[in-house]
Formats: sequence, structure tokens, C-alpha cells
Amino acid sequence: MKVNRFQWMLTTAIFSFASIAVTATLGSAQEPGGGPVYGDMTVVSQDLMNRAAGDGNNFLHTNGNYHQTRYYPNRQINVSNVSKLRPAWMFQTEVMESMETTPIVVNGIMYVTTSFSHVYALDARTGEQIWHYKHAMGPITVYCCGPNNRGVAVYGDKVYLGTLDAKLVALDAKTGKMVWEQQIADPELGYSETMAPTAVNGKILIGTNGGEYGIRGFVKAYDANDGKLLWTFNTIPEDSVGVWATKDATGRDMLRDIEAEKTALASMGDPYKTLGGGVWQNPAVDLETNRIYFVVGNPSPDLDGSLRPGDNLYTDSLVSVDLDTGNYVCHFQYIAHDVWDLDAVSPPIIASVKNDKGETVKGILHAGKTGHVYVHNASDCSLIRFSEAMVPQENMWVLPTKEGARMLPGANGGVEWSPMTIDPNLGLAYAINLHQPMTYHVESTPYPGGKLWLGGAFKVIPTEEQWGNVTAVDYNTGKIRWQVKTQQPMIGGIMATAGGLSFTGEGNGYFKAYDSETGAVLWKFQAGAGVNAPPSSYTVDGKQYIVVAAGGNTQLNYKRGNTIIAFTLAE
Amino acid sequence: MRNLTPLAVGIVLTLLASTTASAQTVEERAETCTACHGEDGRPKMPEVPIIWGQHAGYNYIQLRDFKLGTRKSELMQPLVADLEKADMLALAEYFAKKEWPRFGFKASEADQKIGEHVNGAGLCTECHLGGFLGDGTVARLAGQTATYLEKTMLDFKTRARANNPDKSTLLSSFSDDELKAMARYLAAQ
Repeated sequence: MKVNRFQWMLTTAIFSFASIAVTATLGSAQEPGGGPVYGDMTVVSQDLMNRAAGDGNNFLHTNGNYHQTRYYPNRQINVSNVSKLRPAWMFQTEVMESMETTPIVVNGIMYVTTSFSHVYALDARTGEQIWHYKHAMGPITVYCCGPNNRGVAVYGDKVYLGTLDAKLVALDAKTGKMVWEQQIADPELGYSETMAPTAVNGKILIGTNGGEYGIRGFVKAYDANDGKLLWTFNTIPEDSVGVWATKDATGRDMLRDIEAEKTALASMGDPYKTLGGGVWQNPAVDLETNRIYFVVGNPSPDLDGSLRPGDNLYTDSLVSVDLDTGNYVCHFQYIAHDVWDLDAVSPPIIASVKNDKGETVKGILHAGKTGHVYVHNASDCSLIRFSEAMVPQENMWVLPTKEGARMLPGANGGVEWSPMTIDPNLGLAYAINLHQPMTYHVESTPYPGGKLWLGGAFKVIPTEEQWGNVTAVDYNTGKIRWQVKTQQPMIGGIMATAGGLSFTGEGNGYFKAYDSETGAVLWKFQAGAGVNAPPSSYTVDGKQYIVVAAGGNTQLNYKRGNTIIAFTLAE
Repeated sequence: MRNLTPLAVGIVLTLLASTTASAQTVEERAETCTACHGEDGRPKMPEVPIIWGQHAGYNYIQLRDFKLGTRKSELMQPLVADLEKADMLALAEYFAKKEWPRFGFKASEADQKIGEHVNGAGLCTECHLGGFLGDGTVARLAGQTATYLEKTMLDFKTRARANNPDKSTLLSSFSDDELKAMARYLAAQ
């Protein structure tokens, strides 16, 4: 259904007004006087977290709200005035390396992170530093793709951080002093943390990196107060074989030699102990059903399937588990026995979607490295539809060879870890994509004990053009509504607002605002370093801000920087 | 030790004699290393790597791998045989805190061009980070000696060095000449 601009502006205006009214009413019970109290860092109640989707003042979750829509409900900055958007302040961290942080804002206090697991608390009105936590990093860190950190979780009076040396750290939100820390797993075996934790119902949820190192992946829940481990869901079950699927989620043959795999399984047994399956993006939380939904990354070793017969459950899958117990609920595997590292990484979104009968159901959206947006039924994880491909697909699924086999997309996607956003009024999901042609090489080597274990190599083809795009997909039909090509492959994330805008940055330093309905570029700013982090938004003293990190990107080698930039409308 | 050269036998015996003292401090243990790696961090032989200022995680993993035998060295393996994990971590940290010695190596324009090509195709900075400065268990390559870098990459390619199999796969996709130019390019960083 296409909604014209007047209709949806009217709708969002009413929605925003209603949200503000609701927030003010509910907020008044906690905070006499109504609006947010600047500097009050002890008010992140579960109720406040639950209402984040309608909170036009704060930005409380890495992906905006528990449903991870990244749709910000304030429309003060909108299609009509975005041309007047100007930098309000800039803050420079002491770390000049890749930045993937989503700024979290609580009552005018902003929390950002940098590479190497630093946290800064800033005055969101001015950018002035309040405190700085520099993690005392252990000597052993093992990670691929950059020493990144994607931000903090906030809950109660604490701020939570995952670290490169595989710890979960709780900080006092007022001072930045450590309250407790927990060793999540052994970094010498390839475990590390770059994701922002998720805080919900007294629990801190966190997964792990390590799919390139032969880990056994998991999602763990810790007690928010004292860091006690509450439950662990192993993303690799002891029986990881599955159903010997021969086709991917879109029905294409993956050229598996099932008989050879069965022979290998009989001789070597189930490979679950070193099968990978990292979870390094936030889960979506459905408080109605008490379930969480997350995506599980690639099997180890990435390119060599000979050492891991079977479907390699639950790698490359959407998985749902019970929030209280961590018990399995359902899963859907996109690529069984993946040998291309085209895994599932972009965080899932909960949204109302049309099923194949035209009925509105609770759905899960996920953007794949394959270049498809997948739409699932939340009740059983089943696939409702997949979108048109957002990037060129060629030679799928040719098997990797020693000399290297060319296939598109390259191993970075499609859509990498970059979170999508949706505009629920338009029924559109927005994804940022890469086109980076690669050859896939395989060479079998035994488990190297926590070392990089790709089972081969990915090589960029230097003679072929690379580019990216911003794509709007109608998730009720799977059709691409609009697409804008970018100069470089895209990585970082995107945020839509009730102002009819979608904000995202590029490796060349441009941070842009797109008209969510048409894809027209309405505003841009040159940040001087790669803008490869997800933006967020907040409001203090009646002014809406858009904020983003400009720190470049290790994985794609975009120009490094160290700056947080907040924008607001010129007076 | 039947495969050791006479020179290596001499060095190892001398060093072993100096490491058998009980309850050695990390400084005393580190004295042993200076025979090859230099008193001032400048290696005494071109094929010996700079370890001053190298990351502690990387230093530790190499010591561990020498002990495990997954990295072979006539010289190093006897020296680490009796070290415990804590000893190796202490040595690794000790050298990591030293200042990296600068040699001021210059690379030709041709080497630079080839180096950039190799990095673009091989995605080296995805792990070795911007400026090839490394971190944690990933080695700093920038400013390492060209001779050591060349030998290391060619040893990975031939599998003579086998403690990082994926590195062997990746480097096998480049010619020897490309890797030699890459070594000079990295030494000049």
C-alpha cells in the first residue's frame, strides 16, 4: 500500500503528539515536573525501556527499541527543514580507530564507545566529557575485522559494556567506575566481544564473536545487579546435523555432496565443539511472548565444509529462545552448510507484516549478506517471503576452489552487520549494501586452536568496481521501492525518523539524509572520516538532535577518525 | 638437537646455561633474549624479529607455539621448553612495554605500489589494522625488519612456518616477488 506524503505526515504528527503526551503523563509519575531531568542517570527503569519506541527524548537501545526498528518518533527535524541541519557540537575521543558505536542517550547524558572498549559519558547538549572509562585490556585479544565496539546498554543506575578480552563490565552510570566484571569466555580460544549488550527484565544479554576461530557460539544472560550467569543458549547444539538441506532459503541448489558429508560424519563425528556460530548483534525482544530473536553467524571454518558435515545448526539462522530460560523456541536456517561466509549478521526487527494470505501478523525482518531482506512469521520463525536481491548475484552457489572461484555477493555481503531500519507507516525497510566482488578459496587445515580458521581465503578482485547502495524494500511485497547507488560499499547502519527521513553515512565521510519515501538526498555533511556507525537521535531542552560517530572502518579500510558529531537545526 | 647447526648449538647451550637458574625474575629471563634480539631492541641478525614494542598477546602466542611445537625453531624451542604460561606472559608483557626501535627503512615507489595492491587484495589491514600496527595477538608489521618479514611470508607460503595455516593459504595466492616487495613496503611503514 502506498501512502502519500500528506497522509503519513499527518499520521506521524498525530502519533508523535500522542507519544509525547503519553510519555509526559507516564513520566510525571517518576519525575515531578514532567519532562526529562538533565543529568538524572538513575531512572532507566524497565518501564522506560519498554516505552522507547515512543520516546522522543531518549535513545535507550542500540537499535532504538526492543523491536529494533531504529525508527525515531520525533519529527522536529523533518523533510521540510532538514536542509537547515548543522553541527551543534563535536567530541573527539582519544582513540583514532574504527567506530561502530550507537550513541545512547538518557535524559541528556550520552554514552558512546570506541575501538578497544573505551566508554565516554558526554553532556548531550554540548559534547562536554563527563567521564571516560578505559578498559584495562588483557594481553590476549583475538578478533577479526577491527577492535570495534558497538556501544553500551543502560539499565537502572548502570552502563554495560562488552570488551575485546571477552568480558562483560558493569559501570556506575554516574561516575564510570567499574561495579563488576565477568569473564564471558576464554579469549585465547577466539572469543571476544564487540556487540552492545541488551538489557531487559533484570538481565543483560550478550553473545560472542569468534566464528572465524572455531569457537562454539552462545547467547548468555547475566543478572544485571551482580553479573551472575543466569542461562546459556549454545548456538551450536550437540546434534548439529539437521535435515541435510540442499537448497537455500530462496530455493537455490547449494551443490552439497550429501553422501560425502554422511561418510565424513560417520568417521569424524559431530563437529559441534568448534563449529562457530557467533552472535555479535543485538537480539530483538518480544515482551508480549517473552521471546528474543537473534541471528547466528557462520560455521567454522568459514570456507571448508569438509571438516564439518551436516547443516551446521544453528549457523546462518534466525533463532528464537525464551527470555527467562534461554530454551529453544524456533529457528530458520538461511544457508545450510555455508562455505561462503554469507551468514546472518544484521540484527532482526520485529514488525507487523502481511503474510501470504494478506493477513497482518507479527513478523521478523532480517537483511542477509545474500542481499535479500527475509520476512518471517514470528510465531514459528517460518519464512513468509524474501525480497528482490538488492545487489548483483552471480554464480551462486559455486563451491570455493583452491585457485579461487568468483561469486557475487562477496563475503561481506549484501548487507553486513549494518542494522536496518523501518518506517512502519510506509511499510518500508531500509538497508545499506555492499557490492565487493571476491574470489572464494578453500584449503583444508585442521583446527588451529584459537587461531584464525577460515579454511581458505577471501580475496577482493582489485580490477572490479566496488560500490554500495541504500535500498528501500516494501516488506509486505518483497519489492524494491527505491535504491540509491553510493560511491563505496556501505557499512554502518541507518535510522529512519518520524520526520520522513533516513540517515546513514558512507566511507568517504558523507553523512546523508534521504527522503524515506522517495530516496531523494535532502541533506549531506562531510565529516572528514568514514561515517560507518549507526546514527541515533534525541531531544534535550526542546531541541532534537541527530548524532553519529565518524571513525572510519577497519574491515573496509575507510579513513579513520575519532569524532562524535551531533546535529541540530540552525536557529 | 641433531638438526642444529654448530653455531646454534653454541648459542642454545650458552642460553640454556643462563636460564637454568631457579626463580628467575622476568628481567633475568629477558637477558637471555638479548643475545639475538639485541640489548637495545635492535636485532643482532637480520632474520631475527624486533620484539621490543611488539604486542604482548602476539609475543605470548609465539612463545606458546614454540613450546607446543606448532612453530618450529632450533633456537627458540629449547629456550621455552620449561616456561610456564605465567612466565611466557610476563616475558611477553616485558618486551611489549619497551620502545619499538625505528630503522627508517625506505621502500621504492614500485614496492609501495605492489604493497598497496597486496593489501587491497589480501585485506591485510582487516586484521593488522590501520598503519599495520596490529593489536593483541595480531603482530605489528609496520617497521619490522624487511629480511624477517620476507622470510616469514615465504615460510608461511611454503608451510615451513605452520602456526597460522590461513596465513599460508592467503600468502600462497601471491608471487614470491610480490611478497618480497610487500616486505619492503611494510618495513618502511
